[in-house]
Amino acid sequence: MGGERLKIILSLTPPLLIIFTLFFGGIFYGFLQSLGYQPAIGKYEINFSAYYNVMFSERYAKLFWTGLGLNLWVSFASTFLAAVFALFGALAIRKTFFAKTICNFIYSLNLPMPHLVVAVGIIFVFSQSGLLARFASQIGLIGSPGDFPVLVKDKYGLGIILAYIWKEAAFFFIILMSVLQSLGENFEELAQSLGANRWQRFRYVILPLVMPNLFSASIIVFAFSFGAYEVPALLGVIYPQMLPVMAFEFFLNPDLNARSEGMALSIIIAIIVMILVVFYFWLTQAKIRKD
Amino acid sequence: MSKLNIKNLIKSFPSMDRPAVNNVNLDIESGELVAFLGPSGCGKTTILKMITGLFQPDSGDIILDEQSLLKIPTEKRGVVMVFQNYLLFPYMNVNENVGFALKMKNVDKNTIDQKVKEMLELVKLPDIGLRKPKQLSGGQQQRVALARALISNPRILLLDEPLSNLDAHLRDEMRELIVTIQQKLKVTTIFVTHDQEEAVLLADKIALIFDGELQNFTSPKNYYEKPKNIKAAKFFGGVNFINAKKHNDNLSTNIGTVHYKGENYTDLNEDNIITIRPENIKLSKNNDFNDNSFKGLIKSVIFSGTHTRYKIIVNNLELECSLQSVGLQDIKTDDTIYVHLPSDKIWAMNE
Repeated sequence: MGGERLKIILSLTPPLLIIFTLFFGGIFYGFLQSLGYQPAIGKYEINFSAYYNVMFSERYAKLFWTGLGLNLWVSFASTFLAAVFALFGALAIRKTFFAKTICNFIYSLNLPMPHLVVAVGIIFVFSQSGLLARFASQIGLIGSPGDFPVLVKDKYGLGIILAYIWKEAAFFFIILMSVLQSLGENFEELAQSLGANRWQRFRYVILPLVMPNLFSASIIVFAFSFGAYEVPALLGVIYPQMLPVMAFEFFLNPDLNARSEGMALSIIIAIIVMILVVFYFWLTQAKIRKD
Repeated sequence: MSKLNIKNLIKSFPSMDRPAVNNVNLDIESGELVAFLGPSGCGKTTILKMITGLFQPDSGDIILDEQSLLKIPTEKRGVVMVFQNYLLFPYMNVNENVGFALKMKNVDKNTIDQKVKEMLELVKLPDIGLRKPKQLSGGQQQRVALARALISNPRILLLDEPLSNLDAHLRDEMRELIVTIQQKLKVTTIFVTHDQEEAVLLADKIALIFDGELQNFTSPKNYYEKPKNIKAAKFFGGVNFINAKKHNDNLSTNIGTVHYKGENYTDLNEDNIITIRPENIKLSKNNDFNDNSFKGLIKSVIFSGTHTRYKIIVNNLELECSLQSVGLQDIKTDDTIYVHLPSDKIWAMNE
């Protein structure tokens, strides 16, 4: 018994060491930097001034709070819309029909694409010099490509939202397809024979059945879009700026003192995401207890 | 109470080389309890799904109370189906599951609560309303599924293999409950099964289906005593089949002339097959019988508790006989025996 235990501990030690060193080590060091501890530039004092600066100083407060607002808006909107597109796509494609394989492929095509490529794709298609603008101008819908609505590098983050919808809908789609395929159509057929119309079947049968998986996937997508840098960096504007871009700019600042603000901002992003994950676990546990 | 007529129903699927349902005609009377019986893949559930509207037939019609159902969507047909694996909504409690159909009709909450209570009492589960499906046994889930189907007073109730997922003792209990409720509510009910014993015990009439084709639609008793064809007879445990030709108001067979009293004599062709159930054959060491008595040799004797089965060779033809073990004569393998086929128990079918 004891030998068996030791064997398990020994076999788990190497991966745990790597996780602790790389993950918790990095987090811990980053946290120390956010508290102002930077021995490389002779700063040993520990305080919360970087957090205060980022959130409440005259210089950064407006940037931070508008950035946080934009972050929440972009993450919620893109997660919600990607989930909706994927849900309707999966519901339309799940039934056997002649072009099912092709539709399946097209819907999932974005999954292996790097976010950076998708962001560039958005610029090519949706910017004022992009394909859609030129096409609309060619067929006379708008006077010139410049008249095309600003969908990329706009202050509402529409381009960023578009990129995330384009990319994450595929992720939702894969998850929803597997859930819907495993559920089959029996529940809906049953509901239909019990008198449920199309909307009622969606509202009272499909949605509650896919919701647990949809919700878990939403948490992953939200957490990712909340903390990701490359898409907002490419498709965002200078003001308002999403928090990860703002954090990265603190790091790029030649003044190494600004690194503490960058770290503080990163820790704030991580805390917000963690609060969300904890809330999710609390919700699911409450549901399990209720059941 | 509703009367259902199925007319020339045909349904094919691209993946099958024969029609899944081939020209089925059925007339089901109001309040009848009918079984669709047949092996797996014979088309029973396909017919059920066409009645609900979940499948559209290629041709033919389904008429409920003189009105064709084909243009009416499933949710408006008043035909409710209970699926084989119950399919209780896992995220709803029992009360919500049972009240589902009424909620879909926007019935007010008080009425729903009252009806749910009545239905749960009907299926003898009055105190489980707040439980979730996973907290119920298989038998309880089946009852809740039945209550959920009955709450909207369906015109036709369809049960897909209602007892197949239950243990033997629960099956007896559920069978009794289905019959009791069906007789109480007088709802026209069709259930699908591959178990002939279940069909015989439950149904007023059985529709026997093979390879998408209706073989016969009659009472369980007739399947035992007057099967329409050899397939139907075999499905209900028939084992004795003898080729017979019409001859002077009797039947000529290779074991001898058989005196026949069946009312279908005039409908018979020249070449026929006669059958008699093993339990209707009588044996005697002395020739005690007046007619249809043939000399044979006992090939084997198998004791199976209440009954003993004999295989007898009569003029190179093997017959099987089953007699009650109590008070049996001492008959052993290789004994010479007289086999009596009572003329009122023999049934002849066209070949």
